[in-house]
Amino acid sequence: MRSVCFCLICMLWVGMARAQNPGFTVLKNPESFKLAFNNAAKTTNSIKSDFIQEKNLSMLADKIISKGKFWFKKENRVRMEYTHPFAYLMILNGGRIYVKDGQKENKISANSGKVFQQVNRLLLDCVGGTIFSNSDFHTRILESPKAYLIELEPVAKNLAALYQKINIFIDKKDYSASAIDMFEISGDNSSIRFLNKELNANIPDTLFTIP
Amino acid sequence: MKKISSTGECLRQFKPAIARALYKTSVDVTGKHISGLLLIKTLPDSSIRIAFTNEMGFSFFDFGFLKENEFEVYHIIPQLDKKAVITTLRKDFELVLFRNMADENRITLQDSSLIYHGFSQTKGVNYYITDTHCSRLIKMQRASKRKPVAEAFMYLNAASVPDSIFIRHLNFNFSIQLRKI
Repeated sequence: MRSVCFCLICMLWVGMARAQNPGFTVLKNPESFKLAFNNAAKTTNSIKSDFIQEKNLSMLADKIISKGKFWFKKENRVRMEYTHPFAYLMILNGGRIYVKDGQKENKISANSGKVFQQVNRLLLDCVGGTIFSNSDFHTRILESPKAYLIELEPVAKNLAALYQKINIFIDKKDYSASAIDMFEISGDNSSIRFLNKELNANIPDTLFTIP
Repeated sequence: MKKISSTGECLRQFKPAIARALYKTSVDVTGKHISGLLLIKTLPDSSIRIAFTNEMGFSFFDFGFLKENEFEVYHIIPQLDKKAVITTLRKDFELVLFRNMADENRITLQDSSLIYHGFSQTKGVNYYITDTHCSRLIKMQRASKRKPVAEAFMYLNAASVPDSIFIRHLNFNFSIQLRKI
């Protein structure tokens, strides 16, 4: 009887994982994935990519789609440049954040804007392979034939007040992040898909200079 | 300034008609700058929704302007969830969306060059200020019993969709700028 119950619970758990993320099942050996993921991250010094961001406003049945270019360079530098349908630049460099919105410039130090910092650390962790050392989240790893999925459930109170969960899709062929889906408490969600990725591309340091 | 009688004819041409419009938005409040995207959408039940997100897709708030001048907060982040913030935003958007303009609340005043089309609100009056020929909406204004508290400027395109909206508070450092994208 016990084993029947156990089987039912397992089937239910697998079923739930599939229902939430069709085609994905919970990974049986997450430690070997983490090892391979960390090793791949060690050999990835930079990433250059295009991105498409899709914001789904659930209650309005509406979408906002934006596009741009993305650069990452070790250790902790990111440049996101939105080019469509608006111009917006964000640079993360050494814990500092620079934002340029039209003519307006904004610099945020490491000590201010805690949630903004946490969300940006998440972005760095996703692309830099350091997500498992981020104590702001509980993690669960799933897989499909083509991708891994790292599910992040916020445990930090301020993040848990904003996000239900965050999914990071990892390409099986090179262990790089191919998409990030963020599910907000409001029921809205947004996804960033990385396209035309180039790993270890030659990226000048000046791209990350905060003026 | 003298009191004159008027109908809704003059203001009808300046009323925005927004099925769906997306705006690049800047909010400056007491030295802080917030930017993002503001979606204004009219739903099939003719209620108007205003949703504000940052550029990276994170939702700040989602407000509904419903029938009978009802208002609903569908979502707001904890950092903004303060009565004063919500009331200020509600009143600002009600002004530019031409809400709460019942004939029985109408007060129309005229001086040598302008007509002040006023509508009493629960607190204060919303004014739509036109030239005397009613050929141009010069500005919109929210006023308390004593003085103007906020003013707004809106530029409509040929389809009566605002290309840009600017709201500026006069009693504290707070402004909202919308540019259609």
